[in-house]
Amino acid sequence: MWGFTLSAGMADTVRERILEATYACVARYGMAKTTVEDAAREARLSRATIYRYFPGGKEQLIGETVAWESARFFWRLAEAVAGAADFPRLLEDALMFAHQAIEEHAVLQKVLQTEPERLLPHLTIASDRLIPSIKTFLAPYIERERLRPGVSVDRAAEYLAHMVLSHTGTQGRWDLTDRAQVASLVRTEFLAGVLVPEPDVQRRDVTTNT
Amino acid sequence: MVAHTGGDAGPSACPAGPKPDSQETRVVEAALRCISRWGTAKTTIDDIAREAGCSRATIYRLFAGGKDAVLSAVASTEVERFFTGLAGRMQAAETMEDVLVAGITEAGRRIQDHAALQYLLANQPETIVPHLAFKQAEALLGRASSFGAPYLARWLDLPDALRAAEWAARIVLSFGSCPAADVDLADEPSVRQFVATFMVPGLIPLIRSAGDTNV
Repeated sequence: MWGFTLSAGMADTVRERILEATYACVARYGMAKTTVEDAAREARLSRATIYRYFPGGKEQLIGETVAWESARFFWRLAEAVAGAADFPRLLEDALMFAHQAIEEHAVLQKVLQTEPERLLPHLTIASDRLIPSIKTFLAPYIERERLRPGVSVDRAAEYLAHMVLSHTGTQGRWDLTDRAQVASLVRTEFLAGVLVPEPDVQRRDVTTNT
Repeated sequence: MVAHTGGDAGPSACPAGPKPDSQETRVVEAALRCISRWGTAKTTIDDIAREAGCSRATIYRLFAGGKDAVLSAVASTEVERFFTGLAGRMQAAETMEDVLVAGITEAGRRIQDHAALQYLLANQPETIVPHLAFKQAEALLGRASSFGAPYLARWLDLPDALRAAEWAARIVLSFGSCPAADVDLADEPSVRQFVATFMVPGLIPLIRSAGDTNV
């Protein structure tokens, strides 16, 4: 369901071990300097084993590691917000948590500063896989809500997954540490077209500072 | 009354850069054609000179920074052309929904039809993709939002117009890089359905009460 599966198979355990090791190398040496040999040494496996799981070599290994950590990031996000009081609060919590988690992600920030051109193509590819995962996470919550006529669960999930991803990477005009702003963003940009409005919401919305 | 945003955006702004039929322009256009065929890495000053019908010396005279300066000029020219094209469509729109649909559809079409951009995305993504995420995307969203806001000023106060323009820009970036099956950004009916469903309900409460009620 999420970007990686937890299975009892030996193959997945080895693959996980390699990805974890590669991630540790990237944290230590950066993307450019991490080699297949480094990953092998860190994972205590042979080069041959690495190439068996990642025949595309370093590029494939790095790409899969990015995808792996991206999936883990959203897994942590899902766990953090699962207890939210209602669906709008869940989305608010998601945006605030994601923003903070990105700011505090030491490896991400280091790579963004030193070699963004190496990371970002992989991240774009990883994003394509993240959308279905975010959709799958949101769908059960959406199913419990009253949707506007003509809006299916799938369309709503697709839209909201894109919006979550967009705001995770880029704040734009929003201060995502400000709960009031985030509430306004969720109520308007995220949900105004998705949910049947609450009867008493006629008050003027809060817009960001310019 | 068009709100002043102070930036280089707005329907009355004159595009910066070389005059239409100058030699600089011919070099920039020639470079663009080369990039469409071979990308930026493989395109050389000789290629550009041949395509432009001038000498290497001429190019270095016009662009002291050499290839980097030419590429920079190509990028600025294309971004300018992109926004000018959007401006034309958005200016002609009659309703708030039309402005949003026109902007998003025109952006979608131009991105899809841009040979050099598509070549780079397919073969040299590392040249384009850094501009679409994190800090550089902040600048891009800022520019798009400043650009789009005046066209929404008939219905929305400036802060809300900027907000709506950023929202539309996010849609283009997000659905452009991660396409959804039922959203074709280059197809007007598809965009209209999307805007009417997901954007208009959120914007209606923000419409200035004394303003144009023709949404």
